[in-house]
Amino acid sequence: MSATQHHIVRVPRGRKKKYGVVKFATGTDIDFVKLSQTPVKIERENNLKDYKLANDLDTQPKFGAGSEFGRDLKEEARRKKYGKIMKHYNPDDQPWQLKIGSGKQVKRYKGVREGTISDNTSYYIFMQGADGAFEAVPIEEWYNFQNIPKYKYLNSDEAEEEFTRRDKTLNMFSIMLKKRINKGGEEDKDLDLEEGEKKTKKKGKEKDFKLTDMDDWAEKSDDEDEEDEDEEDGDKEEKKEAKAKKNKKKKEDGKKGKKNAKHNSDDEAVEESDEGDYDDREVDYISDSDSLSEPDEQTKEEKYNDKGVEEEHGLRKLIDSEESSEDENKEEEAEEDKDKPEKDKKDAGSDSDSSSSSSASDSDIEKEEKINSALFMQKSSDKKRSSPLTVGDKQSSSRSGTPTNIDDRKGLKRKLDGDMSSGKKPRTESPVFNSQSGTSLDGITEESIRRYLTRKPMTAKELVLKFKSKKLNMSSEQMTSTIAQLLRKINPDKSTINNTMYLSLKKPE
Amino acid sequence: MANEKKPEKIIQKWQNYDKAHEARDLDLGAAGRGVWLVKVPKYLSEKWKNSKGNGEVGELNITRSKLPGQKPSVKFKANPAVIEPKPGESVIPEEYEFRLTGVGDQNLVILSQHPVMTDPVPGVEPEIVSEHLSIEGKVMQRAECCPVANMRYSKFKKTQIESQNKPQRQVMHTDVVINYKPKTDHFFNIEHKQKKKNEGKKTRAPVDLVKDMLFNAFEKHQYYNIRDLEKLTQQPIAYLKDILKEICIYNMKAPHKNMWELKPENRHYKEDA
Repeated sequence: MSATQHHIVRVPRGRKKKYGVVKFATGTDIDFVKLSQTPVKIERENNLKDYKLANDLDTQPKFGAGSEFGRDLKEEARRKKYGKIMKHYNPDDQPWQLKIGSGKQVKRYKGVREGTISDNTSYYIFMQGADGAFEAVPIEEWYNFQNIPKYKYLNSDEAEEEFTRRDKTLNMFSIMLKKRINKGGEEDKDLDLEEGEKKTKKKGKEKDFKLTDMDDWAEKSDDEDEEDEDEEDGDKEEKKEAKAKKNKKKKEDGKKGKKNAKHNSDDEAVEESDEGDYDDREVDYISDSDSLSEPDEQTKEEKYNDKGVEEEHGLRKLIDSEESSEDENKEEEAEEDKDKPEKDKKDAGSDSDSSSSSSASDSDIEKEEKINSALFMQKSSDKKRSSPLTVGDKQSSSRSGTPTNIDDRKGLKRKLDGDMSSGKKPRTESPVFNSQSGTSLDGITEESIRRYLTRKPMTAKELVLKFKSKKLNMSSEQMTSTIAQLLRKINPDKSTINNTMYLSLKKPE
Repeated sequence: MANEKKPEKIIQKWQNYDKAHEARDLDLGAAGRGVWLVKVPKYLSEKWKNSKGNGEVGELNITRSKLPGQKPSVKFKANPAVIEPKPGESVIPEEYEFRLTGVGDQNLVILSQHPVMTDPVPGVEPEIVSEHLSIEGKVMQRAECCPVANMRYSKFKKTQIESQNKPQRQVMHTDVVINYKPKTDHFFNIEHKQKKKNEGKKTRAPVDLVKDMLFNAFEKHQYYNIRDLEKLTQQPIAYLKDILKEICIYNMKAPHKNMWELKPENRHYKEDA
């Protein structure tokens, strides 16, 4: 059944109310029915000041000092002359400010008047009265209400600033990543690069806030861990000494007081560079005891040497021939640093010292030796040791790798000195080194086999591999035969573990 | 067009801007009421606005469909008295159909402003002192009032198009010939001359009197143009200049160009002003 309802439509006359449609942005769930308890305030935005400012009104006093007679009228006339019609300020035209709630729970909306909607059409609202008749009233305004964000947002300048900062953090991240990669790739034999990185790393650490020197030691011990087992024992001794010296130096620094910081930084810088280190220490020696004469130094040296020898007596056999020679090198260098003239004599001595060295040098072997020693040197560099060969490498890397941001001139100067001296070193010392390091030029000697076997039990195969890895210029058959001959001669202890025969030698007392 | 007459001004302009910008409570009493928002053709709304009598403009016939879920058909029949054309106007359609559309996810609310005026005092124009703002309801339904396409509508359309295409300016034949002849003196010129004659020549007042007048003027403002001073004092310009030179400085440069101000020793403006 379809019933038709009839309703009268009325347009009220003489109405005083002005109606407008409020449009909320989609998504704003605002329901005025639910808001009957909360205070809802509405006001017009006051833009009078902006209006006056924009139109250059009221900038000058109307009366009294500084005022002109009839200025407003004249301005008006002038504007009219140039065809500029000024709009009067109308509060009704200003946007609405709706405030829902109070205190911290307040929500603010801004309602901007929208135009052009009722240009060609008109809108009416139909409201049903109590008698069933509709009341039609015209809509005069449309307002678009939007939420005003409570939080403080960045203006364009601030955003720009933040943006640059964002870039920075990214960079930081990449630095960290690089660091990690480098740590992982430390085993690589890319010496130059590694060296450079280490330096930069150290540099980074320097800047860090350091509480005690213990931190430093921890760092060092870290480095030590990476070293070969072979070297460990012998080096520890030396390190102890170095530490003792360092402590001594520290105390001295404390005395120096004001210069303390500088010195510390020097130390830090020294730690990464091998050559400057020695110079530094030398200076300290001199400054340490005011009357350090030559003989005194000599005795000290002797003591140093003696101890080294003593300690290394047992090790000497354990450690590869290269290392021993390398150690000697170090000592030598120390001496050399102290006294250049002495060097030659020493060199001669060392030459004679190295019993295992033979003069028949093979170019290949030499190269190998160099690389090996370089590797060891690089590791020992952490212990403030320098070697003639690696010095050159380091020099180049330090120049390229490390940014020279040393703030105190002293350190720089000292470093430069070290560089210069080290620059000379390779030339002067390389022949020495060669002659020294040619410990097993023939490759396989009784001595070397003994050394290997005393160190740890080995199978024959492993022994052969050891020598093979040295890339001696001989065929594998030749090698095995010589090794077999020598083994027969040595006649090591034989023990069978897991069906493989291990050869070993007891340490000579 | 029918647009030439401006709709009646409902709300007067604010005289007091401070009052206009006051924060007011929003009356939410009628917020729950559901209303229709109807789009009405301009020609019809014009008729509605100018309706007389009790304001009844027509009748709404709502027929609910038998089938559930179907939109009801809403028809509007205009009151013939209201839509009756004025002389020279075309006949507008009588029957309309309301096309109903939903509001979708739009949140439309009706806001009303009701100005509070000062008590009517005879002879004084009432002024707005406050405003009553209220929410009048929520739009539940949108509708479009469209004329039903019948003969009357096509006739209306025809005349509408014809009237719109008529040129604005047309050639007209005039019966009376108007001759514009030259005049020795125009009316307004004669008037002006007469006025001047009545005023007579400006006579020189005693110097002290003129000075008093000038000081009085300079108390109100700092800078004056000579023309303004001439008007204020009613003194001949030459005479006025002589006196001004004695007590004033003439500004030749930018901010107050071509203006007179008192010599520093003569002025006593307040510091803050």
